[in-house]
Amino acid sequence: MDIHLELKELSKFLSEYSTSLMAVGVHTSRIVRNTARIAESFGFFVDMTIFQKTIIMTLRDKDNTHSYSTVNKIKPMALNFEINSRLSTLSWEAYDEHLSLDELRTKYQEIISNPRMSKWMVLFLVSCANASFCRLFTGDWQAMGIVFIATLVGFFVRQKMMEKHINHLFVFIVSSFVASMIGCTAVLYNIGTTPQIALGTSILYLVPGVPLINGIIDIIEGHVLAGVSRLINAALLIISLSIGLSLTLLLLGVQTL
Amino acid sequence: MMNFDLLQAIIFDGCFAAVASVGFAVISNPQRNSLWVSALLAAIGHGLRYCLLHSTSIDIASASFIAAFSIGMLSIVFAKKIHCPAEVFSFPSLLPMIPGMFAYKTVLYLVKFIQCKDDDALVNILVLAFKNGVTTTFIMFALVVGVAFPMFIFHKQSFAVTRILKLVKKN
Repeated sequence: MDIHLELKELSKFLSEYSTSLMAVGVHTSRIVRNTARIAESFGFFVDMTIFQKTIIMTLRDKDNTHSYSTVNKIKPMALNFEINSRLSTLSWEAYDEHLSLDELRTKYQEIISNPRMSKWMVLFLVSCANASFCRLFTGDWQAMGIVFIATLVGFFVRQKMMEKHINHLFVFIVSSFVASMIGCTAVLYNIGTTPQIALGTSILYLVPGVPLINGIIDIIEGHVLAGVSRLINAALLIISLSIGLSLTLLLLGVQTL
Repeated sequence: MMNFDLLQAIIFDGCFAAVASVGFAVISNPQRNSLWVSALLAAIGHGLRYCLLHSTSIDIASASFIAAFSIGMLSIVFAKKIHCPAEVFSFPSLLPMIPGMFAYKTVLYLVKFIQCKDDDALVNILVLAFKNGVTTTFIMFALVVGVAFPMFIFHKQSFAVTRILKLVKKN
């Protein structure tokens, strides 16, 4: 096959592959490693620059005579550990068994289109998680019950709004406002012995844990720019959820937290 | 010394941390077989942190580091057994320890700082905002460095865990 056509086709696939990895929340050095590994199995080298919104990469052959560059937007996908794990496995498969490009594409499509866990199941499990989180902060049983309901409603609102592709910062504000309003009933009616903790933990399901961890891992491994932009994104989300909470505190006139 | 009450509290703490880790992990759609491992690791990590905080005079950031380090070590062992990247279950097991409350309290105190009209109370609010902010940063770094440290030590093994899957299948 013509070397240019080969470089072009592989480039298209690799940029598709790496933008999906970035979207599902893989840390930067793993993206670089996985992509380079697939390129290597075809006898090429790849160099890439990763930003929060785009990935720029150049694919070149061994003696540097031919190259192909692509710039691709990061896809809007939700965090997904299963895709992370299976795409990493795919890169080793490509390396060890020298899969052809067509085989890679079909396997990639199959992994990407794998359905997520049922959203009702997620809703229930997140509510349980936040309720037990309330217990970890020494909340009592009444507080746990209120946090469970607050999370159930708040997370449901978040899921519904996310489906309509509303701006995610706005979604966080509304979701934390709804959840903290319900959590605030504990303080208003003085339910149980630890109403403050019920209010304080009712919005913790919104804290973006995985982006925070990824950001710091990136900084430690030297991808400072990518890491800082992840951290800033996470900080924006935390500020949004604080805005929702302070709206509740302001409206209901609760002073202490 | 360790008494029965503390032991019971640690076990309770571990169990609730396991539920919390599973629940927060499912937002990111993990693999089913790794979910149990992350629950177990979260229970061990959070229980260890609880034990350190309540039986020694260690601060929360150092305790988080020790807990995260043990999660990182165990996750490499499990990564070899299940053949998927170590972070697929070490990250979810860190989630219950993420300092979410410190993080949003920082923002709340900063908001309070600009709203406050009493000059004498300003310093107090600023100190609280600073304290929460620094705690958040230190815990976050302690968690991530703790969990990444074993990955750096066992560099080769931790990067190739997904590969072993194929080699095993061939044999």
